[in-house]
Amino acid sequence: MQLSPQLAKRFESLENRYPVKRSALIPMLIYAQDEYGYVSDDMVDEIARRLGLNNVQVEETLAYYSMLRRKPMGKHHVQVCTNVACMLRGGYDILERAKRRLEIGHKETTKDGVFSLEEVECIGACTGAPAMQVNYDYYEDLTPYKFDRILEDLDAGRKSPPVPVITGALHPRHPLETPLISKRWGIPNSRSIDVYLQHDGYKALEKALKQMTPETIIDEVKKSSLRGRGGAGFPTGMKWSFVPKDSPKPKYVICNADESEPGTCKDRPLLEMDPHQLIEGMIIAGRAIGSHRGFIYIRGEYRYVLDIVDAAIAEAYARGYLGKNILGSGFDYDLLIHTGAGAYECGEESALMESLEGKRGYPRIKPPFPAVVGLYGCPTIINNVETLSSVPHIILEGGESYANRGTPKNGGTRMVCVSGHVNKPGIYEVPLGFNMKRFIEEVAGGIPGGRKLKAVIPGGSSCPLLKPEEIDIPMDYDSVAKAGSMLGSGGMVVVDDSTCMVDLARRIMHFYAHESCGWCIPCREGTTWLRKMLERFHAGDGRPEDIDMVGELARNMLGKTFCPLGDAAAMPTISIITKWRHEFEEHLNGRCAYKQAESLAGAR
Amino acid sequence: MAEQTTEQKLVTLKINDREVQVAPGTLVIEATRRIGTEVPSFCYYPGLSLQAACRMCLVEVEKMPKLQTACTLVATEGMVVRTDSETVRQARKAMLEFLLANHPLDCPVCDKGGECELQDMVFRYGADTSRFVEEKLHRPEEKWSDLVYYDAPRCILCFRCVRVCDEGMDVKALGVGMRGVNSIITPNRGDHLECEECGMCIDICPVGALTSGAYRYKTRPWEMQYVSTVCTHCSNGCKTTLSVRNHEILRANNRDLSGINKDFLCVKGRFGFDFTSHPERIRQPLLRKDGKLYPVSWEEAATAAATRLKQVFDSAGPDSIGFIGSNRTSNEENYLLQRLARASFGTNNIDHHRTADYAGLLSALGEDAASKQLTMGDLENAQSVLLIGNDPTDQNPLVAWQIRSAIRHNGARLYILNSSEIRLKRKATQFVKLLPRQEAAAVRWLATGQEPLPTDIVTALTSLKAALEAETDLAIVFGSELSGAAITQLAAFASKLSARVRFMALGDYANSRGAADMGLLPDRFPGYAHLDDRAAHGSFEKLWDAKIPSKPGLTAPEMVEAAQSGKLKALYVVGANPLLHFGKRDGSRGSLGLLIVHELFLTETAQQADIVFPAAGAYEKDGTVTNTSGELQLLHKAAEVMGPRSDFDLLRILSHQLEKLGLGKAFHYRGSEAVFDEIRKTVKGYDVPRAGLATGGAEQSRISISRNGHAPYDVPANLIRTAQDTLFTSGTLGRYCTMMQSLPESEPKP
Repeated sequence: MQLSPQLAKRFESLENRYPVKRSALIPMLIYAQDEYGYVSDDMVDEIARRLGLNNVQVEETLAYYSMLRRKPMGKHHVQVCTNVACMLRGGYDILERAKRRLEIGHKETTKDGVFSLEEVECIGACTGAPAMQVNYDYYEDLTPYKFDRILEDLDAGRKSPPVPVITGALHPRHPLETPLISKRWGIPNSRSIDVYLQHDGYKALEKALKQMTPETIIDEVKKSSLRGRGGAGFPTGMKWSFVPKDSPKPKYVICNADESEPGTCKDRPLLEMDPHQLIEGMIIAGRAIGSHRGFIYIRGEYRYVLDIVDAAIAEAYARGYLGKNILGSGFDYDLLIHTGAGAYECGEESALMESLEGKRGYPRIKPPFPAVVGLYGCPTIINNVETLSSVPHIILEGGESYANRGTPKNGGTRMVCVSGHVNKPGIYEVPLGFNMKRFIEEVAGGIPGGRKLKAVIPGGSSCPLLKPEEIDIPMDYDSVAKAGSMLGSGGMVVVDDSTCMVDLARRIMHFYAHESCGWCIPCREGTTWLRKMLERFHAGDGRPEDIDMVGELARNMLGKTFCPLGDAAAMPTISIITKWRHEFEEHLNGRCAYKQAESLAGAR
Repeated sequence: MAEQTTEQKLVTLKINDREVQVAPGTLVIEATRRIGTEVPSFCYYPGLSLQAACRMCLVEVEKMPKLQTACTLVATEGMVVRTDSETVRQARKAMLEFLLANHPLDCPVCDKGGECELQDMVFRYGADTSRFVEEKLHRPEEKWSDLVYYDAPRCILCFRCVRVCDEGMDVKALGVGMRGVNSIITPNRGDHLECEECGMCIDICPVGALTSGAYRYKTRPWEMQYVSTVCTHCSNGCKTTLSVRNHEILRANNRDLSGINKDFLCVKGRFGFDFTSHPERIRQPLLRKDGKLYPVSWEEAATAAATRLKQVFDSAGPDSIGFIGSNRTSNEENYLLQRLARASFGTNNIDHHRTADYAGLLSALGEDAASKQLTMGDLENAQSVLLIGNDPTDQNPLVAWQIRSAIRHNGARLYILNSSEIRLKRKATQFVKLLPRQEAAAVRWLATGQEPLPTDIVTALTSLKAALEAETDLAIVFGSELSGAAITQLAAFASKLSARVRFMALGDYANSRGAADMGLLPDRFPGYAHLDDRAAHGSFEKLWDAKIPSKPGLTAPEMVEAAQSGKLKALYVVGANPLLHFGKRDGSRGSLGLLIVHELFLTETAQQADIVFPAAGAYEKDGTVTNTSGELQLLHKAAEVMGPRSDFDLLRILSHQLEKLGLGKAFHYRGSEAVFDEIRKTVKGYDVPRAGLATGGAEQSRISISRNGHAPYDVPANLIRTAQDTLFTSGTLGRYCTMMQSLPESEPKP
């Protein structure tokens, strides 16, 4: 197949980038699609040939990722998010407006081939909800009016400027905030290496390389009580110490930048405004475990962010912070950024590694854990963006000092992105252990419009929901767990009393059914059948026995699925059906008592 | 595996209060099976990679907070497992409810009904009512090939098919498409399959998602009888279970995983049975009158055959008659045919189409032959394999499967010497590319180091030799490229290696090895005794009450040439097509005076015969066969075809007719078992335990040869000829396997 010169060049560089060729598959597919609008039969053959795969292997991977497609879509692919954070702020109204204006439905294309529409899952713009993407451009804080203007511009061959950085990050600092890893946000051109260097940049690296040994680095991180910021909260230092020192295999560091937990958008600003902080953290992590190669796996939707980080990586190479003999220490480290293509499951560490190897994002059987058998079968540590971004600070100020910022066993600060029904949705940095109630009322500005708080999703839609009387707790891993939920990803969604909890349960399950990878039976079937039941129930066709059955099916998934996705779907559902059971009972009289219900039913 | 590691310390665990000892590394699911406790599973399949996807095998383990999948959990010392608690039962029921949520309940019209693992599990563990009211996801059924149909809604996504196609077959024709609840299995050509059509995916499917185009909608499983026998196509001797209704074979598979091939069958084994009911089967004896073949009565044909043979015998002497036997008929039939030639007619003009030099191998190994032969099971457990010539993927599918299994399960090294880039190359540790017909020279180089070969090949062979010298266990497998002296040299080379070496010669056709073992050779008695071996000669003369010449007879190609030129007056052919295989002059019978043929179909040879006897195929008779690795198995009669008779019957009838005319002794064997009894006495190494055979197993024959000062067996070049069969051909018989022949993949590749 004849490729354009730029695509041919890109393919060649991708083919030679990875330790194993097949890893180039997803990037090749997505860049090919960017150019042609879809992946054609010929392109499948071409990529298969270049990577030495058979067509089935290419098709399998292609079919898994929701951003990849085998048929052309419109020139402007309008992707409207209706996931919880957007839904609470009118995401369905935007979708409705889009459908009416374009006269097409979900995954349809206008006759002239100019526009296509897709209702998408969380795109990581929760603090700017409701949001959408047109191709890779982000448009946030939408109203139907604003939506019309954006489309009018496109009709006229112009482009409304997309958001330069995520909405909700560059707000005036609240006095209760303790900016550490977000401290450079707002400094002009904070993403450039020069600005970074002016603000303590790469000092931690110098210290780690020149004054510390791998053992002392790990010790500092252990002392810092840093726990994984992706959601599970596993102690980072301990994870690093699991990497076998004597393994003859290469070791890898992966940064999980596949931020896709609904309600979560705190890695995006860390990547777009302070990429060098992450790069520095990754090099230090590499030094700690004896790795000489790192990968940043970033979700496919964050394309502009990828380009920013990629430019930062190039800068770091140019200045000698990456590559051979870093700072004259004799330590070598290579880093590359890798794009996903639309799959929540790839945020699960082992599924991410499968995906990085160019395969379907199926999770792996554990044990063995990645620290022993990870990427390409080699020892690998995988950490979240926020976790790795914290590492330079731990090295610079010392583990103990960092730990003291938080509460015992919950060291440091935490990025919290709060969305939904608050006056000031945004991304804030507070010490671990900050009171949740106070956070919502003071930092996030409380509930707008005189409404009352009904529920809080503490850290992404996988967490059990908390009732207003349950939120007077410190936001640290252990306290939130004690309250029956999870600190999770930091993606807090606040729900006021205008919200139908049945509808919320429905939307949450809609997400997990869409994102279930299909590997194991309870998750694959459970999420879909629960989605169908909740849709029917919310539409007014519920039966009394359905209420118990929803809880029972969710419990039948809980703890029995292959990976945590099944639990993630079950836990919020169980909490909603238990804590707001009366709302389900009220639905049995035939219609939803909340106003949005009509438009929601219509939206489907 | 577990048996091999018994020397290691065993692990003791408790399953449902019962103590079980297992080898370290044993999975809990295997440990439960050891004590007869059933833990249900769909995705777990021994020999394939672990999935933990179906979640059916969840068990409770003390000190573990969540239920664990027994299929991935390794048994450890002191582990306490419960498979029967209320929690576990509830979980199973829940998994089945999820599975059935989208699974169509079309069991009454589903081919799998009655032998469906899902049906069985719901019967045992499932809920009796469905609680879901939403619509199920529907998709139309897809036809992937004439033999493979896919019904997506029935698919439970256990991925067995995908794994067996990739890991087992190394074909990778199946993949997974879509995601989540929309996931489906997809064929490699978008909407259809292009593959080996082995049908492994169909048989491994626990439900009715993948069904067989050959079998679907024909019957219900409980309406059939199941007869286990041996595949009649290639020489690997796979056990196949024929499903029979009203005497007709409707299906072939091997679902009980018994036999040397366990569940493996190739396209021939699984779909190559329809020749039995082919309309062109010869169903009556045929007699040539006025240049044309006419159906005649059995009596007329038998009398004519005996009379005319007697005439030739009387007028031209015993050596004017030649016998060419079959490499598909049973050992007993082969034995009888050579007895007929040697004892009734007094000639050693008896041979068959030789596709591997078994005599050469056995004589090269001599007294040690019994212990140096490699069985199919040994091959699977080999630590390293040296493959010389042949393309097992195409010609010896089970051998290829066993080699792949050895690599997959034991990390075995595969070394290949071949003149083509055969498919096993991609599994090879080292592949030495030779020029065509250079295999023997390469072996001579290995044995002597003194053979003029191109430098690059010498370099490759040098490193190969070093690698082989480092091995401790080596399986040598070779094709028809090596015969006679080359095999002797190979054995000599192997004897210098420190490894334990065992050998397998690869022939074609189901009973090539049996034909050779039974003495369908012009220069050897059954069991390869020399014609001038006094003891053997004497005992056969005594046993058959006949005078047997000790002068070697003609080989099959020589007989055909002599027949065509008129030097041979009569040719008696059983289940072979020698005029096609060896004949010159357009394969015509030339000046041959009398041609008698036993056949299933009017082959090129049968068409020219004077008398044709309709013969039964292997699936229509009892007896024993020996596969290429020397393993004996029982044939069981499955189908009944009106008209044809077994070669055993035909030879017995002829012997009686001849006796009436004063030629030889009539055969008084009551059945093929009686012949086998005699073989067990006369052929050293064939006195295998009967119990193993009777229970559907294979028993290795243990022939060994005392050379008694004779030179190693050698054969002229070109006497050993491969049949050039592929996965989709099977000599003359393959032409009548309609299902196989209709596949696009069976078209010869350019």
